[in-house]
Amino acid sequence: MSALLQIENLQVTFNTRHGQVTALDSVSLSVNAGETLGVVGESGCGKSITALSVMGLIPMPPGRIAGGSIKLNGEELVGASDARLRGLRGSEVAMIFQEPMTSLNPVFSIGDQIAEAIMLHQNVSYDQAFKDAVALLDRVGIPSPDRRARDYPHQLSGGMRQRVMIAMAVSCRPKVLIADEPTTALDVTVQAQIFDLLNEIQRDFGAAIMLITHDMGAISEMADRVAVMYAGRVIEEASADQVLDTPQHPYARGLIDCIPALGKQETELREIPGVVPPLHMLGQGCAFKARCAHARPRCGTEKPLLRSHGAHPVACHGAEEGWL
Amino acid sequence: MSVLLDVRDLTVRFGLPKPSIFAPRPYLEAVRQVSFTLHAGRALGIVGESGSGKTTAAMAAIRLVAASSGQVLFQGEDLLGLSETEMRARRRDVQLIFQDPYSSLNPRARVADIVREPMDLMGIGTPDERHARVEELFKLVGLRPDQLNLFPHQFSGGQRQRISIARALTTNPRLLVCDEPVSALDVAIQAQILNLLAKLKTELGLSYLFISHDLGVVRHVCDDVAVMYLGKIVEIGDRTQLFDAPQHPYTQALLAAAPSLARRKSRGYVRPLKISGDPPSPINPPKGCAFADRCPKAQQICRSTQPSLAGGAGHQVACHFPGPATEGTAAQI
Repeated sequence: MSALLQIENLQVTFNTRHGQVTALDSVSLSVNAGETLGVVGESGCGKSITALSVMGLIPMPPGRIAGGSIKLNGEELVGASDARLRGLRGSEVAMIFQEPMTSLNPVFSIGDQIAEAIMLHQNVSYDQAFKDAVALLDRVGIPSPDRRARDYPHQLSGGMRQRVMIAMAVSCRPKVLIADEPTTALDVTVQAQIFDLLNEIQRDFGAAIMLITHDMGAISEMADRVAVMYAGRVIEEASADQVLDTPQHPYARGLIDCIPALGKQETELREIPGVVPPLHMLGQGCAFKARCAHARPRCGTEKPLLRSHGAHPVACHGAEEGWL
Repeated sequence: MSVLLDVRDLTVRFGLPKPSIFAPRPYLEAVRQVSFTLHAGRALGIVGESGSGKTTAAMAAIRLVAASSGQVLFQGEDLLGLSETEMRARRRDVQLIFQDPYSSLNPRARVADIVREPMDLMGIGTPDERHARVEELFKLVGLRPDQLNLFPHQFSGGQRQRISIARALTTNPRLLVCDEPVSALDVAIQAQILNLLAKLKTELGLSYLFISHDLGVVRHVCDDVAVMYLGKIVEIGDRTQLFDAPQHPYTQALLAAAPSLARRKSRGYVRPLKISGDPPSPINPPKGCAFADRCPKAQQICRSTQPSLAGGAGHQVACHFPGPATEGTAAQI
């Protein structure tokens, strides 16, 4: 089965005042229909840039897709015309952003905003589009949707706004839905509601979901497969069970170990020391070496490649040579 | 074990705009008769959704928000009865750490000055002593003395939160109020800050009033936990009892909603206890239990009579039908 969304060796660079930096370094990912791929890592790891590349929303300049390919249903998106990308965006690929308040237009009612998305991609009248918008609001669990459709974003709670974003994103039944930290700004109870809603919508529409998050707990509940990113590279990729139960890369282990668990009482959390290095200071070798407890001389000189060493693909010399 | 902070029936009311000039002013009760006790050297966590009044309750307890009624006994003295000048002197003992390490540090000041400022304002020590103290605190929170003359933008989020912590410690406080101190940080950095807070609590004998919506974080840091809903404490108790045997349906729902590594999509988990909707408006709170509309156990009495906190000293719950979750919620977490 060929993947619905296939990213291969994607290379994205940005011109900054520190010179040219590589934001994505040969990133390869794929998502099948009806599947959820979790992309996990700290801020600055390239998760959002990956999503924006798929949407054709990388600001150029300063950004540039320097190489690689993004195929949606077999169609190449890298180098596609702006008009073609506009046609695909919203209808074939849609995105749910992190902050629903800044992603919605404050001066239009939410029904109007959803109707606008529908009218852009389908040849329907405003009245019909508005009716569809009300039906979508009902579908995403907004009470009294016909009245709520006339409300403005500021009249809704954070959870309601994110539901509106989801309604808008699924209004044209996209094949691929990208959710970039969709619940970061929300309370846990609302987060649980949004996760359940995304899962329901996936069952209904068969959409492929790419869920971007830094929370391994969210990965556990939502993802079928996981890609762990660090400093612009995919450093581990496998099924959610494999990554959560037998993480290979020290960074993936760190992300799992540093979550304070609900069910147990530990005295000290295992922390990952330091921070993600700025992209212009990566230097040679493995980008994680400075934070890694297992680093050896080889890590300082040679960049590890994503390869399977027995288990699942991982980019780590230690996993390859078995010294972890 | 001595009592550091004893809050009794604390109520905070905010005035709303009058509907017409002759109408009486309507009020919003953000915090309704909240009582809790914090012992020296312990940490009390306050959890709840946004709008539940957890921050307002903590701010009213240290007089950063005016309380409408109630008592706040800090080391036996009622803070609400003090004059502004008297209160200012007590502020040495109570310091704060805020949620957003980006907006809580002055972008134009060098971090050494930021950390030293509380001592300047309170006239603590000579200039040399203050400088030495800043250096000592920098090392204590895990920063390097050669970073003293940098500006806040030259630090990462986690480092900025360390600076906030150093600033809070300059006056040797007894109590630290931490308002969502790690929710703006990446998970890997969260662990660093939580470990630092745990270390400081043991080494300096600090007490924390710890506000958070993340139950995992609260379980890790706090000895006791209070769960708030629409301005009231609905369950309060020792962390082990509260997390392992929650009695209030809202606490159970919060625990069920928190993402957990134990729940896997591949194993076809079903969230054991779901709550839908949003909390009711605090402007016109329901007559009975505030949680009744979202509660799976709600009966007639829940809509007519407000339950009050009841139970033993270690664990109290405000619910007409307390008890373990019906579908084994606690067992699955």
